[in-house]
Amino acid sequence: MAGRKLYPRATVKKIVKAHSNCNVSKNADVMIFLDYMLFMQTLMKEAAIEAKQGGERGVTARSVKKVTADSLAKFRG
Amino acid sequence: MARESQRPDATPRRGVSSAEPTASTARRSIYRTPGSQARVPLRAQGLSASGRKAAPPNATPHARAAFRTIDSRRAAIFTPHRTRRKSLREVRDSPRDFLLNLGRVLARNTQVITTSSSSSSSSSPGDDKQGPGSDDSADELSLGTIHVEDDEDEEELPNRPRLSLPIDEEDDDDSDDLQPHRSVVFDDDNNFTMQSIEMPRRAINEQPGSRFSMGSRMSDYFNTNDMLHSEEIGIDSGFFPPTAVLEEGNITMGVEELSSPERLDSDGARRDLGRESDFGFEIPVGDMNESTFVIAPQVQESPTHPPLDAGEPMFEDFAPLVDQRSDDYDDDDLGEVPALEEESIEIPERDQHEDTVAEPLIAKRAVVHGLQKKSIKVSKHGIEYPSLPPTVVKRLAQTFATASGAKGKITPDAMNSIMQASDWFFEQLGEDLQAYAKHAGRKTIDESDVLTLMKRQRQINPQTTPFALAQRHLPRELLQELRMPPPAVPKKRRKMNQGVDDDEVT
Repeated sequence: MAGRKLYPRATVKKIVKAHSNCNVSKNADVMIFLDYMLFMQTLMKEAAIEAKQGGERGVTARSVKKVTADSLAKFRG
Repeated sequence: MARESQRPDATPRRGVSSAEPTASTARRSIYRTPGSQARVPLRAQGLSASGRKAAPPNATPHARAAFRTIDSRRAAIFTPHRTRRKSLREVRDSPRDFLLNLGRVLARNTQVITTSSSSSSSSSPGDDKQGPGSDDSADELSLGTIHVEDDEDEEELPNRPRLSLPIDEEDDDDSDDLQPHRSVVFDDDNNFTMQSIEMPRRAINEQPGSRFSMGSRMSDYFNTNDMLHSEEIGIDSGFFPPTAVLEEGNITMGVEELSSPERLDSDGARRDLGRESDFGFEIPVGDMNESTFVIAPQVQESPTHPPLDAGEPMFEDFAPLVDQRSDDYDDDDLGEVPALEEESIEIPERDQHEDTVAEPLIAKRAVVHGLQKKSIKVSKHGIEYPSLPPTVVKRLAQTFATASGAKGKITPDAMNSIMQASDWFFEQLGEDLQAYAKHAGRKTIDESDVLTLMKRQRQINPQTTPFALAQRHLPRELLQELRMPPPAVPKKRRKMNQGVDDDEVT
């Protein structure tokens, strides 16, 4: 996390704005990205578990794909 | 034992009249011999034989058979219908069905023979007499009803020579002869043979023409017209010309020409009409020959051609669309230059963060994403949007993967799927936030909306405050950003602020 810049804020705002067709308030993107980080955490955790169960060495596309649906459902508002 | 020997004798006799008595012979005699239908099965034969008619017990088997047949007939006459039927039900299994089946089989064969004989009669009258005679005997064995028909056939034998001479009259006669057979036997085969004799002269020309015309018309133009065509050949020829004009390019026309000669005779007048004549002409015209037979090949061809014609414009239509899209993408690519810049900027960051990572792979990936994925994406609202820079995603993914115990680096494939997942996530998140904001009557997505979302996602609960999460995941600059907003913000905001303050203090 030593990176100077965690994420491009403008990009996140653009993405959310495009999907929601709404404006994004000044600092909402931080929370949004926080949520995204939580999602990524869940996703990678599940993928790692799946990979271990599947006997794979690391996280693979297969494990990620298998877990994606569940993780997305978990983060359904 | 004795019954068995008797039965064969009895069956043929009854077969002529009706199959019913054969089945019930033995039992009926048993049941009905006493006027009151009291039955003692064990004694039955003795009573029946001796009971009324006093059939001599010592009588020869033929005599017994005769008595039994008489008894059975009486029984059949006197017994109420129900009992008859019951008895029949019991016995039906063996002899009657067998005989019926046999009769049907024989009937078919015999009829076929008759038809053949009738047809052949025109060619060789002398053979006809023999043929029907044999048929009659077979018919007699099978069913009595056929006899009547056979008689008719015999009567008609002298008429047959007529059939050979005038064709039109033949059809009528044949139809009359044949129809009774159909009604009696209900065999499709018979009908086929019966009609087949007549059909070829008239009907073959019509049928193939109608079918093929149907096919060709279906593909090309008018279905209703096709119906008309099937009914009337002349109309067909009239309609053909348009199709032919359209189909002139087709190579298949030559094949169609072959079958025309039959038509020429009938169509001579039609040729004069013009287009019909074109169809009627066999090979020389060549352009649109559509004799009835010829039509068939067209039918096959025509369906293939029209789809091609239809398909070509379709493809053309699609092609411009595709081109447009591609153009759009190109525009996007042009527009996204800044995104590329971001990546280029970020790549050095990676180098800093990940010393061991193979740089070329990352660079390639970044380039690929910049050119393809980012450019392609358009939200459902029609707004183009970039995807998160893969470097950021990769860093996050790598961090969390290692934290959750996965070893090794994330493969490019896995990275692609992760990017896909994150795209989906943002799409879903955008929709949800939009719903919350609209519900609150705002056009702007607020932090409160995000907090509500996280609450519903069960990421925030009394045990885990948003601040704790932010503290755990976000760098300090962003935490300060979160702190920035004025205290007017709702409760949770305050909580976060307080927490941040506390942390800072500590």
